[in-house]
Amino acid sequence: MSRTTDILVVGSGMAGLMAAIVASEQGKRVTLLSRGCGSLNIGSGCVDVLGYVNGQAVEGQPLDALDALPERHPYRLVGREGVEEALKMLSAVCARHGAPLEAAANGNRRVPTILGTLKPTCLTLPSCRGELLETAASALVVSVEGLKDSHPALVTAQLRRYPHLANIAWHEAHLENPIPGAHRNLSPLDIARYVESPEGTAWLAAGLRNALRATPADVVLLPPVCGLSNAAWEAVAAAAPVPLVEMPTLPPGVGGLRLYTALKNELQARDVDMVENALVTEAECDGKRCAALVAETACGRRRFAAKAFVMATGGFMGGGFLSSPGEAREAVFGLPVLQADGSLLPARPEDWSDQNIFGNHAFASAGVMVNAAMSPLRIDGAPALNNVFFAGRSVGGYDFASEKSGNGVAVATAWRAALSACAQC
Amino acid sequence: MKQTSVVIIGGGATGIGILRDLSMRGVDAVLLEMGGLAHGTSSRFHGLLHSGARYAVGDPESARECIEENMIMRRIGKQCVEETEGFFAALPEDDPDFAARWVTACKAAGIAAEAVDPDEARRLEPRLSPRVREVYRVPDSCIDGFRLVWHNALSARRYGGEVLTYHEVTAIRTEQGRVIGVDAKNRVTGETVAIDCEYIVNAAGSWSGAVARMAGLDVSVSPDKGTLIVFNHRFTSRVVNRLHKSSDGDIFVPHGSVTIFGTTSTPSKDPADSLPTSEDVTRLLDIGEPLFPALRSYRILRAFAGTRPLYTPNNAAGRAASRNFHIVDHMDEGLRGMASIFGGKLTTYRLMAERMSDLVCRRLGVTTPCRTAEEAIIPDPAPEVLERAARSFPAHGIRLVADRLGDAFGDVVKNAAREADNGMLCECEMVTAAEIEYVAKDPATHSLHDVRLRTRLGMGTCQGTFCSLRAAAALAERHVNFALSPVRDVQNFLQERWRGLRPALWDTQLKESELNRAVYLATLNLDGACREQNN
Repeated sequence: MSRTTDILVVGSGMAGLMAAIVASEQGKRVTLLSRGCGSLNIGSGCVDVLGYVNGQAVEGQPLDALDALPERHPYRLVGREGVEEALKMLSAVCARHGAPLEAAANGNRRVPTILGTLKPTCLTLPSCRGELLETAASALVVSVEGLKDSHPALVTAQLRRYPHLANIAWHEAHLENPIPGAHRNLSPLDIARYVESPEGTAWLAAGLRNALRATPADVVLLPPVCGLSNAAWEAVAAAAPVPLVEMPTLPPGVGGLRLYTALKNELQARDVDMVENALVTEAECDGKRCAALVAETACGRRRFAAKAFVMATGGFMGGGFLSSPGEAREAVFGLPVLQADGSLLPARPEDWSDQNIFGNHAFASAGVMVNAAMSPLRIDGAPALNNVFFAGRSVGGYDFASEKSGNGVAVATAWRAALSACAQC
Repeated sequence: MKQTSVVIIGGGATGIGILRDLSMRGVDAVLLEMGGLAHGTSSRFHGLLHSGARYAVGDPESARECIEENMIMRRIGKQCVEETEGFFAALPEDDPDFAARWVTACKAAGIAAEAVDPDEARRLEPRLSPRVREVYRVPDSCIDGFRLVWHNALSARRYGGEVLTYHEVTAIRTEQGRVIGVDAKNRVTGETVAIDCEYIVNAAGSWSGAVARMAGLDVSVSPDKGTLIVFNHRFTSRVVNRLHKSSDGDIFVPHGSVTIFGTTSTPSKDPADSLPTSEDVTRLLDIGEPLFPALRSYRILRAFAGTRPLYTPNNAAGRAASRNFHIVDHMDEGLRGMASIFGGKLTTYRLMAERMSDLVCRRLGVTTPCRTAEEAIIPDPAPEVLERAARSFPAHGIRLVADRLGDAFGDVVKNAAREADNGMLCECEMVTAAEIEYVAKDPATHSLHDVRLRTRLGMGTCQGTFCSLRAAAALAERHVNFALSPVRDVQNFLQERWRGLRPALWDTQLKESELNRAVYLATLNLDGACREQNN
């Protein structure tokens, strides 16, 4: 039995969800296949656009810095207007579902993290207004007892090492663990779930009030525990006597789940078919045209035919690429995974990476090479497939980790890939 | 100026064994180690406590020593030994005549080698190739080299022995053909320490040639590099050896939660040459696959390498060089008060220490006999301490923690009781906040890296992705500071782990590396912070 749809999207990270929304908005019938929950779900929810170019921090608006990127960078392929349009659309969708995204007035927002670092990012939920630190004379860093990854002492010890934050009076406080008998690892997500309930909201509001009574401060930093929804965040923030800032943490992050939920709600509202736990194993192609993808699903092996396809399957971590010593290929179509300059990855595994862990690694920016339509290319530069388009980390030519550009590239490439797919049907 | 009777150079198993032996005989001794304890060959091997079966055909004397020491270690060092037993398995392509000779040789050396029906062997070790033709059971076991060295140090300290880590010997002072002292540089503070002594023991392993040269002696020590692979789970329950003439890539050793597979043998010029290469890794996989057909589908955690200090007076090299140990009294070359020990293997470290200590005692006129084979290195914890521990440690981790900490266990249990929540910071290796704090406060600890060497923090599946941040944060919370800021310490820690990942960067380990970058670079901006923050 084969199901037909106009556009089949594979992957439910930021790129997959966004591509499905864009295609659906164009009036197409869309089916979304996902294997797991994607990495948006477990991330911080910050929409990084561009934090660094060659190790230099981007000053001013990140979109103004796109010209400094290499020609093959996905942002250059999508173009500034496209990137802007895509981010606008993401913001509109998230706002409709109670996850309003906002940018700082003059460029990247620098959000404090639980490692005591500042992380540049572009669009965030209102709980990550890191710039509040810059005008504060005193700050209280709060955690909840039992949270292994969030220790105020680390945050204060490190943040004061930034020259511009050195003069802040730093204070620390712990709230009692509200979930008694938690025998497993307590994560901010557990606390956020509790805070989502009315008694949890009241507990956090009271806890913060008491902590501030004991140690007054201009701003409070805390792990992402202020509920799962924006409504809970607003309730906690409204009850707090001073502004609150949530710090990105180790997975599972809570901010990512908030965005994921908003995008999923949009897909549901648009009646997009979503098939979960589906692992795409092969493609049925006739020359350069793909007719269908075959997936292992909960109901066995199934064939999904479509007029066009958007692959948002991720990179090495997401399962979009398969690798063996000195070799890598894209998992479904077997496309070559190429270096940022379009050449094959080196034959010697050591040459895939730099000896400095923060160095420039060939594997980090390797991926499927695409043209401006997000259509995959062969190694000689010729189009490989006509009705298949790539988005997100599976696209090569950028390094999301050192650039701090992950969700931004995902949104921009998904927008372009979905429009290209729509043009095919 | 410090004074002692004996200075021992080298904090590997041999040196620390000599310190313990001499201290137990009442001889004043100080041990100098240029890095952390066991940073060299004693931690860079497969963790196999040999039964001697591997040497039975080629080196019967080593084989006999191994089986004797193997039995002694099970008694005196049970906290460091996991009594797994071992298999020797032959494939159809292996020489059947060799197997026959091997069985006879094991018998002659006093090593029990009992035939196991291949079907039964595969029932016990289901990952083993269905092609195995012949299998024997031998008393091989697993041993933790890090822990063994630390426990010997704790025991030596109890008897008055002194250990100075991060102290590099810069000069050996002599006067009229007689040793009078040693100069060393403290690599942490930069200070110079002068120690007067009557006797020097050179137990510097792969570095022993360089140490001997400081006394104007010329000895033949050839570092020989061996590479090993760590897999992220135990795919065998016992040691598995290939039954053929000893060669590369024929030993699999389960070790805690991982399996170590090796080794290779390549002559090296540099005793510190511990960089594994992808060529070594892929070659080992090729060699190991016939015995474990699914080998390539198991996730590699990392690769590591170390150098064997082969003693090569006759220019023998590689696998032809003897694995046996040699004691050289430099009196024969005209220098009184110094002896060197070369070669050997971890399994016989105690015997090596005994022979060397016998020589030192003869020269110093001490007649107290060696007792290291009788007395347990670490006493058993008292039942009431174990009972108290049950309140602050998870039940399934108590034995592991007690065995790892040895003498320090009681103190850590006391500290843990004071913690509101003795959080498990490293789930793979069961390391709690109290243990990390205790080890971090030890004067020999200078970084998270040192904490790892003693606790195994970050040696498991996550390779530090989750636990390094947790440990740094827990230490900040307890006001334990190192020279580097927590952020830079985490960076160094991850950098060290990175070294072992690069030669095996494909498939699942590459996946894990991309996750690590997503967490530390994308989410936490560790790279940017290292550029922007003051240390």
